[in-house]
Amino acid sequence: MLKYVLKRLAYIVVVFLIASVLLFALYKSVPGDPARMMLEGTKASMKPDEYEARYQDAVRKLGLDKPLVVQYITWLFNTLKGDFGYSLTYKMPVRQMIGVPMKNTIMLNVWSLIPVFAITLPLGIATAVRRGTRFDSTVQVVTIIGYSLPFFVIALLFIFLFAVKMPLFPISGVQTPGLRGTPIRMFFDKLHHMALPLIVMVFTSLGGLTRYVRATMIEALRMDYIRTARAKGLSEKVVIYSHAFRNALIPFITIMTGWFISIFSGSVVIERTFLWNGMGKVIIDALNQQDFAVSLAMVMFYLVLSLIGNLLMDLSYGLADPRVKLE
Amino acid sequence: MAKRTYGSTFGDVLRTLFFGRRTATLSLLEEEQVQSPYRTMIRNFREKWSAMLGVYIFLTIFAFVFILPIFFPMDISYQDPTQKNTKPTFAYMKYAKSLQGNVASLGGGSVFGVGVDTDGTVYQWGTLTPKLESRPDFGAKIIQVSAGLDHALALDVNGKVHTWGNDRFTLNAIPPQLMSERTVQVLAGHQLSFALTESGKIFVWGNTNLTSIPVPQEHQGSFKKIAANTTLAAATTKNGEVVILSSKETAFSYIPQEIQGKVIDIALTERSAAAVTKDGQIVVWGGDDHGVTTVPEHAQGKAVQVAAGRGHFTALLDDGTVVSWGRNNYAQAKAPKLKNIVWITSSYFQNYAVDEKGKIHTWGLKGYLMGTDQYGRDLFSRLLSGGRVTLTIGAIAVIISGIIGIILGSFSGYYGGKTDMFLMRLAEVVNAIPFLPLAMILSAIIGSKISETGRIAMIMVILGLLSWPSLARLVRGQILAAREQEFVTAAKAMGITELKIIFKHILPNVITVVLVNLTLSFALCMLYESSLSYLGFGVSEPNATWGNMLYGCNDSTVMAHYWWRWVFPSIALSLCTVSINMAGDGMRDAIDPKSNDR
Repeated sequence: MLKYVLKRLAYIVVVFLIASVLLFALYKSVPGDPARMMLEGTKASMKPDEYEARYQDAVRKLGLDKPLVVQYITWLFNTLKGDFGYSLTYKMPVRQMIGVPMKNTIMLNVWSLIPVFAITLPLGIATAVRRGTRFDSTVQVVTIIGYSLPFFVIALLFIFLFAVKMPLFPISGVQTPGLRGTPIRMFFDKLHHMALPLIVMVFTSLGGLTRYVRATMIEALRMDYIRTARAKGLSEKVVIYSHAFRNALIPFITIMTGWFISIFSGSVVIERTFLWNGMGKVIIDALNQQDFAVSLAMVMFYLVLSLIGNLLMDLSYGLADPRVKLE
Repeated sequence: MAKRTYGSTFGDVLRTLFFGRRTATLSLLEEEQVQSPYRTMIRNFREKWSAMLGVYIFLTIFAFVFILPIFFPMDISYQDPTQKNTKPTFAYMKYAKSLQGNVASLGGGSVFGVGVDTDGTVYQWGTLTPKLESRPDFGAKIIQVSAGLDHALALDVNGKVHTWGNDRFTLNAIPPQLMSERTVQVLAGHQLSFALTESGKIFVWGNTNLTSIPVPQEHQGSFKKIAANTTLAAATTKNGEVVILSSKETAFSYIPQEIQGKVIDIALTERSAAAVTKDGQIVVWGGDDHGVTTVPEHAQGKAVQVAAGRGHFTALLDDGTVVSWGRNNYAQAKAPKLKNIVWITSSYFQNYAVDEKGKIHTWGLKGYLMGTDQYGRDLFSRLLSGGRVTLTIGAIAVIISGIIGIILGSFSGYYGGKTDMFLMRLAEVVNAIPFLPLAMILSAIIGSKISETGRIAMIMVILGLLSWPSLARLVRGQILAAREQEFVTAAKAMGITELKIIFKHILPNVITVVLVNLTLSFALCMLYESSLSYLGFGVSEPNATWGNMLYGCNDSTVMAHYWWRWVFPSIALSLCTVSINMAGDGMRDAIDPKSNDR
């Protein structure tokens, strides 16, 4: 097992290095001189030689005078240390400015886990057990529709229904602007703003996961040990929840991690639609304002997240299913 | 599967009870029939109603977006601010029935119309703003009406002017000087109102900051008729001269000198002017857009009246027929064969002609099937053209990712070892970077350097290059399983080259699984493209896709008031992806032998 873990770790380091080289190359191919952009707006107020001195200073500060390899290594180490560079639009280090958005995004995503679990697991099991019935085929069609609909179409529909037609929730934003009150009131205000994005997020995740639970459950119910369990005279409840479900959970755990990472990336669309001040919105704003340091930091964050997710997935697979070949 | 099992219904049970169990309902040939796996697949597929429904819906959409644009060509750069955000309707020229036979005056507005009958009752039709709907009580019999962008004017028998509709920009402030004069012509322009008095004076009020209309003092008192477009106005004088009312020198200022003194009527499109002279000649000057300067031959020498829309002219001839020419994007220059017409009026994209019995004939823009967007573009034609772009991008992206995925997956699966190791790490790298953020960055970096049309190709390539890993893995797994089978060993023993073994012997065995995957990733690519375009990092204006038509639609005003702008593209996109996924899902079930033992 240790060997397996080490091997996976080695792979992940390799993948990370290659991906980081690619991203760095991408970053370097961006048009424009970051040192000049850093001094933007100050040129008019300075004498030419003073400006030149400041410019050289900025070049040195950003390390642009060194060879590319050195720049890459410095950048990589800085990134690993958590220093993501300097945001040109916010005029502050990226690390400082992404704190709040990151908290918002993680909050949104983690909160959406609970309802997704609570709905997909029972529904998937029920459809698998009642395979071929009208209930099953209806759910099948509904879930296809669920996962085929674009995120933003569902979001627009929900905004229209629950924010415009029935103004239950605010249309967008994280907090009522200018609201001052007790922490409890602030918390509920935030919850109120989060409700609609959360509902949309849960809704978009239901289709695919329900189908996946169903598929793994059907696979598990086909096994010989189920027949044995039934032959022993165990009640159907025990057969389904104790024998089949536990085994169906193994592939489910693995896809959960993948799904959790994918919603981080998918929440870009939802954050944009609801103007939720999360990482997705930050990356869009950064790209629109040509602030590539920020967007690169974001992608690096996603990359690390997805690599850790992949590792966890492999490990959990290995842990949960001893049959996994440790080649 | 197709045949229900005997004994499954109540009737079967009864029959068995009374007549004994029925034997062989199938003939021997049917009983012994063997179907090839492919035919079984097709049969399985056709038995699944959701899959077939998906296929039918997709084919319908496909036919719609690829065939209909031939009949509804779209001018990509076309915009018209006067038509922006209008709701779906075909009522722009649906005048009140009671006007038929006793119409006194008509006025066509941007997306509505106003009319008055001989009894002085005013009617309105088309898309009316709330302010237009709340029409005042005129208190006197109305004899003339005129409609503009979003306001209307009426003139009563006492020569008094009334206005309603948009009241901003001092449009509701009728000049006090008019009170002491008797008005003979009212004209509602683009956020401007004009009145011509009996004494030949012109008064202008409204949004004079947008367009200033100076009235030359030397002609004030001698005007006879006034015409206007969105930028300036022109008037004829009592001695048959044309005066352009504009503070700037434009193409309109070059009035042909030979007509001065002989003009009886004038009309203005956005870029050109037309005048009718005493001897029935029509003279057009200004810009030559959409052939407005080529007046139909048979009209020359016979014209008595001319009217204009935004890009077309309509003239009434002395034999009572009408002729239209110029811009024809909404069939506004396609005049029907009419006779005994007494007077005509044209506006924006509409034409009204009234014959001697007072019967109204109309042609031109009736309205929009799906409304218009914020630039006044017809949503229906954009939806068709956008669908074409979306489907094409999805298809080409899938082809690119299919080629890469199949080749790399096959090599990886067949050769194994170091090749496999390298290719799979490559797939892992591509897969590890989250799709949407990476595609957005690529699009932002590359997209800034290329044209709008180039962006379409760029999106195809980005989607294709980023979405192959899952397919490559699938192919690799399939080939790994097939590699050890006897036919491959046999092929190797016969000395067939490895490439041939991979692509001619193994691949056909796994192609069905690949096809299913390609179908599903076609829908996925369309979703990614529209997400990118929706976020503003995909295909950009003026090109349309279903995604970028939704760009900016999360605005509360658009959501609540311009519902057609997001409802129709959303429905089209959703229908398309749902139908593809239903078909793909049906295909997967059809080729999966395990699903057969239902």
